[in-house]
Amino acid sequence: MANYVAPSPEALRTRPPSRLLSASEESTVLMRLRRRLLLASLRQALKTARFRLALVVALTLFFWAGLFLLLYETFHFLASYIGSQGALHNQVVQFTFDVFFCSLLVMLMFSAGIIFYGALFRSPETIYLLTLPLRPGRVVLYKFQETVLLSSWGFLLLGSPMLVAYGVVTGAPWTYYALLAPMMVAFVYIPCSIGALCCLAIARWLPRFRMSLLGGTAALVVGLAGYAIWSVVAGDRSDLLTERWFHHTLNRLSFTSSYLLPSWWLSSGLLQAARAGSPIDGAGFTQSLWFLALLVSNAMLGQVATHALGSRVLRASYSRLHTGPSGGTHRGGKWIDRITMAVTFPLPHQVRLLILKDLRVFRRDPVQWAQFLIFFGLLGLYFLNIRRVTYDVDHTLWVNMISFLNLAVVGLILSTFTTRFIFPMISLEGSRFWILGLLPIERDTILWGKFLFAAVGAAIPSTVLILISDLMLRVAPLVVVIHQITCLLLCAGLSGLAVGMGALMPNLKEQSPSKIAAGFGGTLNLVLSALYIIIVVALTAVPCHFYLAAQPAGVQLPEELQTRLIRGIWISTGLAVGVGVLATFVPLYRGLRAFRRLQF
Amino acid sequence: MIEIEHVRRNYGPTTAVADLNLTVKQGEVFAFLGPNGAGKTTTIKMIVGLLQPSAGAIRVCGHDVVRKARESSACIGYVPDEPHLYDKLTGRELLQFIGEMYGFPTGEVDRHIAREVERFQLGEFVDNLTETYSHGMKQRTVFAAAMLHQPRVLVVDEPMVGLDPHSIRLVKDLLMQQAAGGCTVFMSTHTLSVAEEVADRIGVVHRGRLMFVGTVHELQTHFARPDRTLERLYLDLVDAAEGRASSVENGDEHQDLQDADDAEATWSQSTETES
Repeated sequence: MANYVAPSPEALRTRPPSRLLSASEESTVLMRLRRRLLLASLRQALKTARFRLALVVALTLFFWAGLFLLLYETFHFLASYIGSQGALHNQVVQFTFDVFFCSLLVMLMFSAGIIFYGALFRSPETIYLLTLPLRPGRVVLYKFQETVLLSSWGFLLLGSPMLVAYGVVTGAPWTYYALLAPMMVAFVYIPCSIGALCCLAIARWLPRFRMSLLGGTAALVVGLAGYAIWSVVAGDRSDLLTERWFHHTLNRLSFTSSYLLPSWWLSSGLLQAARAGSPIDGAGFTQSLWFLALLVSNAMLGQVATHALGSRVLRASYSRLHTGPSGGTHRGGKWIDRITMAVTFPLPHQVRLLILKDLRVFRRDPVQWAQFLIFFGLLGLYFLNIRRVTYDVDHTLWVNMISFLNLAVVGLILSTFTTRFIFPMISLEGSRFWILGLLPIERDTILWGKFLFAAVGAAIPSTVLILISDLMLRVAPLVVVIHQITCLLLCAGLSGLAVGMGALMPNLKEQSPSKIAAGFGGTLNLVLSALYIIIVVALTAVPCHFYLAAQPAGVQLPEELQTRLIRGIWISTGLAVGVGVLATFVPLYRGLRAFRRLQF
Repeated sequence: MIEIEHVRRNYGPTTAVADLNLTVKQGEVFAFLGPNGAGKTTTIKMIVGLLQPSAGAIRVCGHDVVRKARESSACIGYVPDEPHLYDKLTGRELLQFIGEMYGFPTGEVDRHIAREVERFQLGEFVDNLTETYSHGMKQRTVFAAAMLHQPRVLVVDEPMVGLDPHSIRLVKDLLMQQAAGGCTVFMSTHTLSVAEEVADRIGVVHRGRLMFVGTVHELQTHFARPDRTLERLYLDLVDAAEGRASSVENGDEHQDLQDADDAEATWSQSTETES
């Protein structure tokens, strides 16, 4: 560096001015950047993480194929009752598609708005792009495309097997399959644009109320969805799934078939395309093209509106958002801290302090508890209404099956949370390990603290939810006890897995918990968690099923047989406890060993 | 080149920058000093167009940074305190992207990249992904990116953090050479020795208010302490503004504090008028 010869002052004075790019040139440069980033990530994945990549692709294909088969059977079943063409068929399928796409429309609007906010206003890349001589509208479009991709992959993964299965069952012509992709992509753009426009408007004009607005709207949508579900299942239970009930349901959800909704345009366009080959309606293809044009034109309008609004407000919005008042002070202990310290009194003081620290971090990060609240809130809503939703709540075996399925669902949701939030905890400590690492505590204490935080934090809502489900289903007291034991096993096992695997496979370079969770370690943790849930639930569910199957209502079993069946339940539960202990302590033990050796 | 007129920036009820008036001329190295939270980074973010002033106006190369953001950005090279690099790009790819963004034709971009690679000695790692870089390597790459389009105004926020002594020397030489070539350098730093060595003028900001603008010599003259270092004078100035005893206690320190306190308002006013 010392050898560097500086250019002469004259040369510096006569430097050529840089040139401002045209809009299309800006677009080309950003597209090239995106392509470079994509190729580099792909090359790196192929070079260093082939197994992970193969696993992700295989799991995606497996999920897609499983969903396709399930939906193929569903449509096949439907076709066997209402035919694969005709007015009744169209009415039922249109209704199903309308409800499905309308729900996705609302969800996509929300997810796109939130993702767009993060991508545009919280990303370091935006800060960088805003210091370059770029048009603000181009930055907005660049981030909008990212948003469309990130918010819609779930929709494409869920929607494509359904629509392909429908096409196969109804014998749709090739034009139907050709129109699937453009229709779905055009549809996705519309809710994404609405979400992005709302996000830009809130950031510009109501930045201080963004969290209240988001929370309020989310609560409103959940409330409306809850009301819609309630209104569908409310009424006389003997009416459920009868023709009258079906007509009532159609009427109550008829708002999803409004001509003004893009979801209706999509479902109508798809149905027309599927009918195109049938002798009933030769004009179907033309009509489907008309719906495609409607979707595409609205998608383009959405993009133009996003660009136009973004061009006007981006810089001002960014400035307002980043110069708002800082968060309030957090002085003194809150009641929740005092309760936490009180209820954890048997634990060593250092572990209690670590639990308290993790709890504070958790509750001050709305991303974590908001998702937790929404999913567990929806589950609670479902469990409270389970007697209305479930078809045959008086049949013991049916009730038993539903109750164990509820247990499995709670476990599966819990596993996504332990993977998303608990697994990355050790990795995230990497950059701030100078705090924990220099404290006069054993490294083991840190890991035990995280495990207890996760296990107790998961156990409280999960056991309450399962208890609600059992009480609503009026399951036998013995099964309630088994459910509670199983639930505790799930909480402990999933937490042990997440903490242990997190310590075994840390990613100390990454700062984003979602990226850590989406990595190989996170994926493996999720797969192992799912396997664990299946094994534990099956071990407890099967003997309970035999126990209940052997004694129909009102029939008293011989005492010996009853004793043997109950013994079978307890043996099986004992096995489940054994599996639970293994799943909890083996990963924790391995994690502890790895964590002691870990160099930060 | 940089004109700041009656600029104010609030963060909610807190005023980060209050009625800031400042002009930094072409070919000048200006060091912006002040304690943490004084408003230095906020001012820099307003100059580069990331934040907009609550009141007042900023012009860079004659372009208003709010109304003509693209034009002013095109004049500026910016080295932030927490730089962003694309992890999955190599240093060269990053520089290519920036060159293209500033409208250079492909061949010319390569020429500019070669110049910066040589200047900042990036050759050993410029073709590796930036996620593998150390802090110092990243900082040098960011400097190369900021210099690639040969900006007329260079805005640097804490330039020396994480650099080794050779790189610090290089950056100091670079700042002075750029100024000699007509580039305006606006630098925020806590490294007072660097400011003393390279800056033509310094500005001391405290709680959003500009307390002093002028040369180090002017500051020494005012305090009638020609032997004192910038560090000592700066500490006295800030301590006086805080209303506390001097950080550097000795016999006549108390009187110095009184002097500084009395002089504070008149200094910032008079020196700015002169500039």
